Amino acid sequence: MTIADAGQPVLAAPERRRPIGLLLVAVPVLLVIWLIIWPIISAIIQTLWMRLPEGGETFSLETYRFFFSDGYSLSNLSITLWTTGVCAILLLVVCLPIALYLRFSDSKVAAYVQGLAIFPMFVPSIILSFAFIRVLGPNGTVDLLLNAMSLPKIRSPYLTPWGPVIGLVWDNIPLTVLILLSGLGNVSNQAIEAARDVGAGRFALLWHIILPRISNSILVAISFAVLGIFSAFTLPYVLGPAAPEMMGPFMQRTFRELYEPRTAITQAVITFGFCIVFGLFYVRSVAKNRTP
Amino acid sequence: MATALIRRPIDWTGIIFAIVLTLVIVLPLIVVGTWAFTNVWRFPAVIPQEFGLRFWNQTLARADVWGSITMSLTLATTVTGLSALICLPAAYAFARLDFPGRDILFFSFLAGHAFPKFGLLVAIAGIFLQLNLIGTFWGVVLIQLVGTLLFMIWIPVAAFQSVDRRMEEAARDVGAGPFRVFWSITLPQAGPTIAAAILLSFVGTFYETEGAWLIGAPQVRTLPVLMISFINNQPVIQYGAVLSVLLWVPSFIALLFARRVVNSGSFARGFGG
Repeated sequence: MTIADAGQPVLAAPERRRPIGLLLVAVPVLLVIWLIIWPIISAIIQTLWMRLPEGGETFSLETYRFFFSDGYSLSNLSITLWTTGVCAILLLVVCLPIALYLRFSDSKVAAYVQGLAIFPMFVPSIILSFAFIRVLGPNGTVDLLLNAMSLPKIRSPYLTPWGPVIGLVWDNIPLTVLILLSGLGNVSNQAIEAARDVGAGRFALLWHIILPRISNSILVAISFAVLGIFSAFTLPYVLGPAAPEMMGPFMQRTFRELYEPRTAITQAVITFGFCIVFGLFYVRSVAKNRTP
Repeated sequence: MATALIRRPIDWTGIIFAIVLTLVIVLPLIVVGTWAFTNVWRFPAVIPQEFGLRFWNQTLARADVWGSITMSLTLATTVTGLSALICLPAAYAFARLDFPGRDILFFSFLAGHAFPKFGLLVAIAGIFLQLNLIGTFWGVVLIQLVGTLLFMIWIPVAAFQSVDRRMEEAARDVGAGPFRVFWSITLPQAGPTIAAAILLSFVGTFYETEGAWLIGAPQVRTLPVLMISFINNQPVIQYGAVLSVLLWVPSFIALLFARRVVNSGSFARGFGG
């Protein structure tokens, strides 16, 4: 490169504080306000203020009271919480070892493993659903193989609560591995070697050196997974049981099939409430990593 | 690294991971691929009785398949085009210009990611209901457009920022105008990442199922939406299998081009990692 002043610290270009920038960003920003911020505010207002029959509006928790006293809604909520919890735990159990392996190995096999772990990102969840049914569904590949070995058929997870769990874990492996791997990048080789020099075993290394340094990444990975899984639609809709159903299919059915938008929006606000801690934490961590 | 010089023992951990992941991730897809090229496969044969392309002809002869392919391509092209049109100038502004409220506006694109996606879609659908956008093409375009904003702004911003400013300064020093600098220095360096962002946004839109289903169905039927109805109501397995293979094509293209971006650390950092 032929840069004359490469040795000198680069001076920032003179600050151009011009409103033309505002003009350039206006359309996407307005879209965010119109189609993200306003719907959320509107959803909360719409579900809290009831129109009175004689005109006028009044504050009312009626739709929420209904949700939390309706047995079916509550069982949908609890299956959603169960699925989200199980998926989050399984994801960590599956992805942390993969990420640790990828961080500390530079063999050729590692490149293959990384390729495979990221691969589900390039498989749309609808294809995944179809593949799931063909492999684990009734008379699927697993049944074929078991039958060929004269073993009894499996109890298929298709249309049981485990169906969405398996699908959602499969679907979330790539980003969980990538986020954990990115966190493991902050663990320096020197720290590892120093700990090894003083005789730390593998477990001590993991517990005292690695985990404290990646705890934030673990929380980010979990938050991201929780946000995606809590209101997942496609996989639970296709693979899960008809009742109880997860919040995603439940909201869709309430909105499009029962034509009760107010009830559906109430359900949406309730999912916001359950995820708000994860959402804010996730957004804060993404923002921290990024200086505009 | 010094360790690389030492002859390593066989990487058993890696081999176990590789085998398990192959079984769990590759095998199901191979099964679908096999179904797509199978004329007859009756239980309990492990290998199909008859391979062939019969169901490709039958699937491709269906009007609903062609209708949804056209719909998906039109939608994805429209959304990606609009998204690039409004986001790339914005990304350049965020990366290079200073204006009042820049930081807060930059982070405002995260707002949608603080909420569970389908809940947010239902809230948006509530607004669309009042505007009569439910069941319309443009309703789906809008909802999918919102989904691309973060990607299409944040990735290009990073691309513009990673351009070597000293080269731009140097070009300017020898008398290049701002457009010449942009065209000859900035764009070639930022171009590949921006292209990857556009590709990812096209593919993401192509596969976007939830918004299309919630807002568009049954009038707007994209390929993934058709696939859902095949899974639920279609007894002939091969139709779904052939459609899966067709459906996977854009992802495969994305896989070829975007792997470099996905494997780079900055991609994971974009997700907060």
